[in-house]
Amino acid sequence: MDISSKEQTSIRTSSVRRGQAKQRAQEHEEIFMQINPSRRHHKPFIALVLLLSASGLNAQSDFEVPRTINGQPDLQGVWANNSTTPLQRPEFFADRATLTEDEYQRLLARAAEIEAGGGDALFGDGFLNAVITGEVESYDPSTGNYDQSWMASRNIERRTSLIVDPPNGRLPAMLSEARERISTEALIRRENPSDSYLSRPLQERCITYGMPYMLAGYNSYYQIVQSATHVAIIQEMIHDVRLIPLDGGAHVDANIRLWHGDSRGHFEGDTLVIETRNFSDDSVFMGAKGNRLFSERFTRTADDVLRYEFTIDDEQTWERPWTAVINYTHSEDPIYEYACHEGNYALEGILSGARAEERRAAE
Amino acid sequence: MASLRNRAFRFSAVFCLCVSATLLTLTPSALAAEAGAIPRTADGHPDFNGLWQALGNNHWGVEPHNARFGPDYKWAATGAFPAGLGVVVGGQIPYTPAARTKQRENQANWLSEDPVVKCYMPGVPRANYMPFPFQIVQSPEHIVMAYEFSSASRIVYLNRPDFTAPIPSWMGHSLGRWEGDTLVIDVTEQMPDSWLDRSGNHHTEQLKVTERYTFRSPDVIAYEARLEDPGVYTRPWSMKMPLYRRLEENAQLLEFKCVEFTEELLYGHLVKGADVDQD
Repeated sequence: MDISSKEQTSIRTSSVRRGQAKQRAQEHEEIFMQINPSRRHHKPFIALVLLLSASGLNAQSDFEVPRTINGQPDLQGVWANNSTTPLQRPEFFADRATLTEDEYQRLLARAAEIEAGGGDALFGDGFLNAVITGEVESYDPSTGNYDQSWMASRNIERRTSLIVDPPNGRLPAMLSEARERISTEALIRRENPSDSYLSRPLQERCITYGMPYMLAGYNSYYQIVQSATHVAIIQEMIHDVRLIPLDGGAHVDANIRLWHGDSRGHFEGDTLVIETRNFSDDSVFMGAKGNRLFSERFTRTADDVLRYEFTIDDEQTWERPWTAVINYTHSEDPIYEYACHEGNYALEGILSGARAEERRAAE
Repeated sequence: MASLRNRAFRFSAVFCLCVSATLLTLTPSALAAEAGAIPRTADGHPDFNGLWQALGNNHWGVEPHNARFGPDYKWAATGAFPAGLGVVVGGQIPYTPAARTKQRENQANWLSEDPVVKCYMPGVPRANYMPFPFQIVQSPEHIVMAYEFSSASRIVYLNRPDFTAPIPSWMGHSLGRWEGDTLVIDVTEQMPDSWLDRSGNHHTEQLKVTERYTFRSPDVIAYEARLEDPGVYTRPWSMKMPLYRRLEENAQLLEFKCVEFTEELLYGHLVKGADVDQD
């Protein structure tokens, strides 16, 4: 299992760094989740390595989407989700969907300062908050931190939220029964965080990060491969491949429930449109339930940008559907194999630690 | 007469040439030729897009084996191991004596030692003959093999012979190329931990697998894997089996995220209230 000693020296430094990063991610992510599992969905890591791929931020007006050998819009390549834009717009920005040029320049400068400061890692909203408030809040001041070397590069965009609808950039109101459901589940988790492997989050059990794996962090890379009849979307995080048939066939029987749902796709002009349903009730996504309808639109807007739009409609959870847009940027690196479960010593550690605490308390 | 004979001779010569020409074209890809028209992609290569699955009992044992008792009597007939004729060319894997001893130990401790029981990714070639289907999505540059078991997958990089593996992995590093109508894939840099079947057949990190995929009819692939591993085998050896296209109209890959089915085995003794003396 000694991976690092076998690493090839001939590959590019960035790949090596990312490879090492992933190994460390596998080793340490459980620790992170143990520290604060509730932040898992909301505050993923953001790299403090600047990658300003300016062309990635605006659509090229003269861009023509290339075609595959089968004449379809060509979405193929390795795509990175490393945007610093938070899911919900910080209240500071009120109704503004984009930063002014002046704000953007200050954001870049402040980001560089934070990076140069070599401080703690910052997560999604944490990054922008640090820029706004000038205060870096460590997610874990007590036990030490991830250093910056294993984190992915990030893209700093002018957008103030991933959510584009509702227009205020915020999640719609949650239904009261959904709020009750979620707070009950949260209470159970809080009171019995480590009674069983079942008490731990799905990510920590190496089952799934959800579909979509939404926020920028580590291993947030995808590869798309297209044939005449299918689109394969390889998700690096815990190794998953989504297979999207393009033949217009019916969804699977309603009794079949899947962690990542059942997807059907078609092209509308230059856009790949995917409809997904038949989610399992256990397949968590921001508190949504299994009957949610999930629509996605993939459009290449520049040579190195894949615009990813998704809409989630869940009548059991939110008062109305909501839509977000993430700009994926092209990556030269290959997808790595993320063998999560195979090296999941942390789950064993968490459970045996909890049992040891109980034994000590009983003495 | 002479001229007639001459013509006859010339005719035979021409006839022979034609026949040998036909034979020559047949020989390199005899299976494909026998198959007649095979599916082809827009760039003219064999089109392996589709859902595929091996039949038979190779996942229980790639060497010839008898039916035998399963590990838990409660499963009775449904938990017993079926017999199999084996898929190893020549019958037995040419192990070194020490490696054969290790295989027998593995087999004796199958349930606790087989990585697949714990839902670890099966590696190559085992992934291809697990009792689960796998989907091929083929483009001119990449071939994705997505396996139902444990959501394992691999990306085959076509015509990139200099692309070295970034890290060793459970599913290995797959570099592909076309030899006529045969897809040839070299698989290297696999973790040493994976096995070949439920009978404890094994390899080391030196394993090099050369796979060959050739259509023998539009819905059947002749699959061959040559395994070379000086760590445990005295010489390279091959296994051969057909891979069948799943022809159900609604055939599609489903999920078998097997982690959830192994957690009680792996972590059950650490659950609150579990009998701590059990191990």
